[in-house]
Amino acid sequence: MTGPNGVTDPSGMTGPRGTAGNTTGIAPPRSLLCELTYRCNLQCPYCFNPLKLKLDSPELTRDEWLATIDQAVDLGVVQIGFSGGEPTLRPGDLVAMTKRATERGAYTNLITQGTFLDDALLGALLDAGLAHVQISIQAPERELSATIAGTDVFEKKVETLRRVATRDVALTLNCVLHRLNHDSLPAVLAFAEREGIRRLELANVQFYGWAYKNRGALMPTREQVEHGAALVAETSARLRGKMDITYVLPDYFEELPKPCMHGWGQLALTVTPDGRVLPCPAATSITTLKFPDVRTSTVRDAWYASDAFNAFRGTSWMPEPCRSCDRREIDFGGCRCQAFLLTGDATATDPACARSDQHEIVVAYRDREADDAWVPRRLDPALL
Amino acid sequence: MRLHRDADGSASLLVPEGIVALNETAAAALALADGTRDDDDIAVALAERFDDPEGTLASDVRALLDDLAECGFLTR
Repeated sequence: MTGPNGVTDPSGMTGPRGTAGNTTGIAPPRSLLCELTYRCNLQCPYCFNPLKLKLDSPELTRDEWLATIDQAVDLGVVQIGFSGGEPTLRPGDLVAMTKRATERGAYTNLITQGTFLDDALLGALLDAGLAHVQISIQAPERELSATIAGTDVFEKKVETLRRVATRDVALTLNCVLHRLNHDSLPAVLAFAEREGIRRLELANVQFYGWAYKNRGALMPTREQVEHGAALVAETSARLRGKMDITYVLPDYFEELPKPCMHGWGQLALTVTPDGRVLPCPAATSITTLKFPDVRTSTVRDAWYASDAFNAFRGTSWMPEPCRSCDRREIDFGGCRCQAFLLTGDATATDPACARSDQHEIVVAYRDREADDAWVPRRLDPALL
Repeated sequence: MRLHRDADGSASLLVPEGIVALNETAAAALALADGTRDDDDIAVALAERFDDPEGTLASDVRALLDDLAECGFLTR
């Protein structure tokens, strides 16, 4: 969506960047991700939730979530996502939050693995104004799906997918790709085509949280990644106008870093189950930052005034080679969380960038022998 | 998809997990895409409201609607 057709920005998650109404020079947030809970009945080893799934304080109450939504919309948020963990484990709260977000004019997205989305809950969510459902599968068939999810839920997911497809709501099928399921990509594409899916998101795993812990087992091979990209390009061309396919490349295999979140504190905020306000869902991996909390701060103060949100805005925090790089306002130095995870320094150039003097870390990991074992995502006393 | 107006009047299109900023002509075209008008109807209606010095309005409208249909955001 580019060119002279009036679509002024093709990058998806962007919007008018006016700073009217505030004197900070900081544009308002446009999207909010509500992580209702870290609880989940699946145990996917690529989950980006933190390893420490046990919360330090209780999950936000319904009223606290509704107030958070109100404050976010007041600031300029128009896209609201409900995620987790598995957000449908709080069905009543999810419906109430969807209703409030819709009443306030926001577009609502449910990001679910689909095992609890029965007809009653689906109906209540649609009545509340839910605009979009994203359902994930772990693999296109039952056995591999059960191996990855740690539980046999594939048939249940397919049943949910078919039921949602009959309703008046946008539907996206999502499958996270990694070494264990990458060879099933042709079958994922065939499954999506057979089910009449209009929007398919194929995201190579990003290494945060559990995925970072398990990256030795999850890192795809170069053959898998390149074959996947070619197959998706071919299928996209064949199904043009019928199915829109997004294939997210793994940044360990690219020479330039991803423009993570379109810049730290530029467009999006995430609120964790216990109320911390983050610039991205993986931000708690940066243990040197203290994040604001909706129980002790307004969303406005978190966005405009907190040290955590201001830490990597603009370009003045950047070291070389980012500071003088011609791409510094294109990819913003890459991902802050990945820089911290890989180098211990959140201001470092993302090692995924070939211009980083620590790019070798990524190359070594990408090319090393795969691990066979992984740790399933679940409450682990050793990690508390 | 949903057409959205910010408090300052700027228009955007809200789509699954995305926001597409629109200029005034695009917003006006999409406001007319209500299922009762085809591409030509929309172009005719817009021509009454906007100058079209280069005579590209009809093809611009078609290209915009083509793009959105290809992304699955509208059906024709």
